Amino acid sequence: MLSRLKKTAHRKKITIAVVLCVLVLAGLFGRLVYLMIWKADYYSELATQLHERERSIKAARGRIIDRNGTVIADNRTVCTVSVIHSQIEDAETVIDVLCKELGLSREYVTQRVEKYSSIERIKSNVDKTIGDRIREYDLAGVKVDEDYKRYYPYSDLASKVLGFTGSDNQGIIGLEVVYEKYLEGTSGTILTVTDAAGIEVEEEGERRIEPVNGKDLYISLDMNIQSYATQLAQQAMAAKEAESVSILVMNPQNGEILAMVNVPEFDLNNPYELTVDVNKDVTDKEKQDLLNQMWRNGCINDTYEPGSTFKIITAAAGLEEGVVTPQSTFSCPGYIIVDDRKIKCHKVAGHGGETFVQGTMNSCNPVFITVGLRLGVDKYYEYFEKFGLKTKTGVDLPGEAGTIMHSKEDMGNVELATVSFGQSFQITPMQLVTTVSSIINGGNRVTPHFGVKVMNMEGTEIEVLEYPVQKGIVSEETSATLREILELVVSEGTGKNGKIEGFRIGGKTATSQTLPRGSGRYIASYIGFAPADDPQVIALAIVNNPQGVYYGGQVAAPIVRQLFENILPYLGIMNYNEE
Amino acid sequence: MAAQRRKHKKKNNKSEYFFDYSLLFIILFLLGFGMLMIYSASSYTAYLEYGDSAQYLKKQLLASILGLIAMTVVANIPYHFWERFAVLAYVVSIAIIPVVLTPLGISSHGARRWFKIPGIPLQVQPAEVAKLCMILFLACLVCKLGKKAGTFKGIVLMFLAPLPQAIMIWRITSNLSSAIIVVGISVLMIFVADPHYKKYLVMGTGAVAGVIALVYAIINMETSEGGFRIRRIAIWLHPETDPEGTGFQTLQALYAIGSGGIWGKGLGQSMQKLNFLPEAQNDMIFSIICEELGLFGAVAVILMFILLLWRMMIIANNAPDLFGAMLVVGVIGHIAIQVILNIAVVTNSIPNTGISLPFISYGGSSVMFLLIEMGLVLSVAKRIQLKEV
Repeated sequence: MLSRLKKTAHRKKITIAVVLCVLVLAGLFGRLVYLMIWKADYYSELATQLHERERSIKAARGRIIDRNGTVIADNRTVCTVSVIHSQIEDAETVIDVLCKELGLSREYVTQRVEKYSSIERIKSNVDKTIGDRIREYDLAGVKVDEDYKRYYPYSDLASKVLGFTGSDNQGIIGLEVVYEKYLEGTSGTILTVTDAAGIEVEEEGERRIEPVNGKDLYISLDMNIQSYATQLAQQAMAAKEAESVSILVMNPQNGEILAMVNVPEFDLNNPYELTVDVNKDVTDKEKQDLLNQMWRNGCINDTYEPGSTFKIITAAAGLEEGVVTPQSTFSCPGYIIVDDRKIKCHKVAGHGGETFVQGTMNSCNPVFITVGLRLGVDKYYEYFEKFGLKTKTGVDLPGEAGTIMHSKEDMGNVELATVSFGQSFQITPMQLVTTVSSIINGGNRVTPHFGVKVMNMEGTEIEVLEYPVQKGIVSEETSATLREILELVVSEGTGKNGKIEGFRIGGKTATSQTLPRGSGRYIASYIGFAPADDPQVIALAIVNNPQGVYYGGQVAAPIVRQLFENILPYLGIMNYNEE
Repeated sequence: MAAQRRKHKKKNNKSEYFFDYSLLFIILFLLGFGMLMIYSASSYTAYLEYGDSAQYLKKQLLASILGLIAMTVVANIPYHFWERFAVLAYVVSIAIIPVVLTPLGISSHGARRWFKIPGIPLQVQPAEVAKLCMILFLACLVCKLGKKAGTFKGIVLMFLAPLPQAIMIWRITSNLSSAIIVVGISVLMIFVADPHYKKYLVMGTGAVAGVIALVYAIINMETSEGGFRIRRIAIWLHPETDPEGTGFQTLQALYAIGSGGIWGKGLGQSMQKLNFLPEAQNDMIFSIICEELGLFGAVAVILMFILLLWRMMIIANNAPDLFGAMLVVGVIGHIAIQVILNIAVVTNSIPNTGISLPFISYGGSSVMFLLIEMGLVLSVAKRIQLKEV
């Protein structure tokens, strides 16, 4: 009886134990349902990522094309040669072939081939013909992937404007950076299924995501003008032993930049090769600083004291405000007293009695100081801001420098006097060209730019780039008066070296001494435009630290004259003065 | 089902004794399915490592055949024959563990858990021997204690008996999971032997509460402090935070299970077995089953194990005496604990610890000793006298 009872007790307990186990298993079944139905997508996604190896297919970068349709930044097909350790069958042959074809040391190749890694790059940027030749050997474990490399057919023309690209084809400086989002393509991928060691599982095949090529950028630059301006700049630099020469050519009506030269330029296909000689033991940092210096675009990244060319702005403000008319008379004794300071005219003997027009033709400092003082600090500052001189031009290049100007509170009469003839403050050459353009084009402050439109490689227009224009900077009347005065400056005044027979040219020269004063370093510059009555092209030439004669009228004006002599007929601007 | 068969057999009256063919069928099915999955899970890595894709399959097949022979022999020996060896078995199970420290010992996967018997190409894991010996010894002990089994003294004695082996397995072979199984088997046997309920209910509730409190404490603790085990538990809760270290295997198992879905990728189509999942043919084989055969296949495997436990429960309940019943209970405990812990580890329901899936995971000594245990169960089944019932 007792044993019977005990046995029943055991049975019950055994049953309970087994039922408990079954319940736990049912719970685990629930867990499985959760993992395999609710979380199935999550885990299979992660697993797929783990199983697939990516090889990227580079997209071709968009080209840069000038206004005549000339391709100035292009792509060249190059190859990247890699080895996959686990797939190599005959290591000796692989090493032999790669050494021979790629011209690499045996030691280097052996090390790479024998290294245990999923994929080891032997050499990139290999010429396509060599890549094809290696492919023909059909060696197991050797991969030749095609790739694109930026190629600049004009190597150093407009180098500081175009910029170049880095190892991943991303823009480093210039237009390549600014228009990155249009130019860069979207890389494609080849996804191969592999095991944990990276060995391809062949029956799984491969998935391809095709790359999307970048879009072409059409710019306003004219390579013919750029090329000629570069020659002129190089000649001037050599002749005057100057440090650098910049030439800026723009359409003053719409802000399209036709040429931007900064010699010395550098080779876009070898952007890391210094143009200046350095001794071998420069540190990496020093070398980088030198490279950054070499890549600087003087027209935009650097500021300078504009000197007498800035008198155009003072004149515009004076005429607009009515404190001076072309007929107003002045007297120049060779200096002018402002507060307690005596400011000299460049002609020590003085220009004597002269009208405002004659004063401009003579580039007489006391005349412009007088105009400035008549306006007063408040008004002058107001015009300075109204002309947009305190803001950046908005040019589509990176790193535009801002204007360095006295604050209004710190500006007394002496500061006002110096600013009136273009000293004691700094602007970029681009700023000067833009402001003068807006004064002579009827008062429209245009945004200087290169980018015109974006098209895809098939030639469909994607986007026409638009730029803001601020109207009414000066009245049409003031603009017309200044065009006349500036034409006289060229035909009869200080700018007569800019004169071209048969064309109506306006312009203004400048000679500014760089800081510190008395160093004997000058900047000679000249800004000219044509036709004088309806400006279609404006050009600024700046010669940095010329040796010997350093006057803007003698050093810089002839550069623009030679340029105009060639490009005006080319642009179809003919014989305007034969009315 | 069993009752029906019993009735059927009674009518024919051909045999006095009962042979549990359905249990035999379940065992053979699990063994066969296991070998299929071992081949599927290991062929890729086996080929890479040994140049023979059937390397693991061949070894498992050999062990299974030896195991089946041993099972047949044991099944035909009346189980009371073994009663006299109970004390010897206890001594052997203690003595055999330190053998791994002798030159006969083999280390693998960073632990010294095996030794080889000279002259035979098979390796023996003393933990497996200890499990079998413990079942035999405790079954005898319960019978010896008789009515005293329910007393405090009896329970303490039964609980203390397997501790030396468990501690040695843990400390010497650094195999915590096997130690847990040995203790687990004895706890289950105590539970069945003792007619009382209350204290087990209290202890069970206490244990569950303790575990919950511990996990809660660890969640609220900075993972940087605390030792290896605590870190392991922290990784269990967030395996993706440690994809390179301990969490790696767990995460790989989850990838495999998750990518299986309801119907699986199909037999042989697992991606995770291509060297991504360590121990794919071993402790982690269940995740490969999930990946290839889906939720469907996983449920089929779990159902197979439930059927196995069910059959053994019937045998235990109908055993002619207490000794036989306790032997079967021990085997039930062994298999149930391993199945539950293995599936729980693979699905990351508990922290990662190495436990193989009975009959299916690769492992020669494991399958051999399991088959010997099944021989014992079949031997008990044979003694069920149908006429009496």
